[in-house]
Amino acid sequence: MSADASDLSLVRRVQRGDKGAFDALVLKYQHKLVKLVMRYVRNPAEAEDIAQEAFIKAYRALPQFRGDSAFYTWLYRIAINTAKNAVVSRDRSPIEYNIDASSDESYDMHGRMKDSETPEGLVLTDEIRSTVNAAIDALPEDLRTAIVLRELEGLSYEEIAAAMDCPVGTVRSRIFRAREAIDRRLREVFEGGLGRAEELG
Amino acid sequence: MNEELDSQLSAMFDDELPPAECELLARRLSRDEQLKARWGRYAVVGAVIRAERGVRLNAPLAGRVSAVLLTEPSLAAQSAPRSARRGGVRWWQPVAAGGLAASVAAVSILWLRAQLPPGTPAAAALASAQPAGPRLSGAGVVPASVTGAAAPGDRYVVPRIRPGAVLVPSTELANYVVAHSMFSSPVARRNLLSAFMTSEPAAAAAEELQDDVKSAAH
Repeated sequence: MSADASDLSLVRRVQRGDKGAFDALVLKYQHKLVKLVMRYVRNPAEAEDIAQEAFIKAYRALPQFRGDSAFYTWLYRIAINTAKNAVVSRDRSPIEYNIDASSDESYDMHGRMKDSETPEGLVLTDEIRSTVNAAIDALPEDLRTAIVLRELEGLSYEEIAAAMDCPVGTVRSRIFRAREAIDRRLREVFEGGLGRAEELG
Repeated sequence: MNEELDSQLSAMFDDELPPAECELLARRLSRDEQLKARWGRYAVVGAVIRAERGVRLNAPLAGRVSAVLLTEPSLAAQSAPRSARRGGVRWWQPVAAGGLAASVAAVSILWLRAQLPPGTPAAAALASAQPAGPRLSGAGVVPASVTGAAAPGDRYVVPRIRPGAVLVPSTELANYVVAHSMFSSPVARRNLLSAFMTSEPAAAAAEELQDDVKSAAH
């Protein structure tokens, strides 16, 4: 299996003029990129603006992307440079704080402050989060272990198969079934939630 | 929704789908909004599991990027002029090809002149078809000044008469010219072919004469 084949196939489509394929890349990496940019700026809205700028820069530079490195590695560099430039141009010092699962306290402080301008957005984000967590808790253990090893630990299917002592095909099936079970519940929130957001917006 | 398709989508999201299947699914993913929405929700699930707190999970970032890109030209449209510019850099290629064709034509004509006996229509056609440029002195040709047949200062050459010269059959020459026609100028090609056509009876007559001489000797 060639690494990054998925991203590369989308990148090649964009390079041939298919803008819809770039949407898929944005959807896949937007959260990671915003989280990355939030190491440099306080405000989530500002982080989203910088992430947006990074995606657009990446799109414009895509003809020069040859696939020597993974797409995300390349995108990551663009986002870091964009964030640093944004900080410099606004004459601010970069703030190196990394919010993770172990720092709930700092999340509460910064997160609430950042979302204070859009409480509805915060509520919806919390709703999405609680729905996904509840769906994960309700999963059979083998499905839950497979999806967590994949998403949290970043293990490949082969590594998960070795860890769970089962064939790679079984891992693929378990991860898919876990996602489907979560997605069934998440879809309801998204369809209702996104509708609310549009009304509010 | 097709379960197999969703299973492929999940594997593609994890970079665990074979490249050939990725190509096909990427095409569908870029066009199918339902599939794209599902793909986006897979990303949300990942963000929640990784506890990417502080990140708005319902942020309309993808929609905003997509809206900006609507005003951008597609990358395929941008790359077309770029490739045209790259093509302009290779200006020397037609010049080199022309030079090569001229060299091949010159060598061919010199070789043919060396093979044909003087005075035949084909030789005359070859003399007229020789490309412009510096005339070469080499095997089988002598400068006109040596023969004394030309006025001083003239640069053209005449073929040396070789008693044992092999007569190349006209058909073979014609085939040669046709096979190399892409490297010769149209004028030279036409002259040569017409010369072969007119010299065909003469060559046949020469062969008959030789046969007659042989039979007479016997």
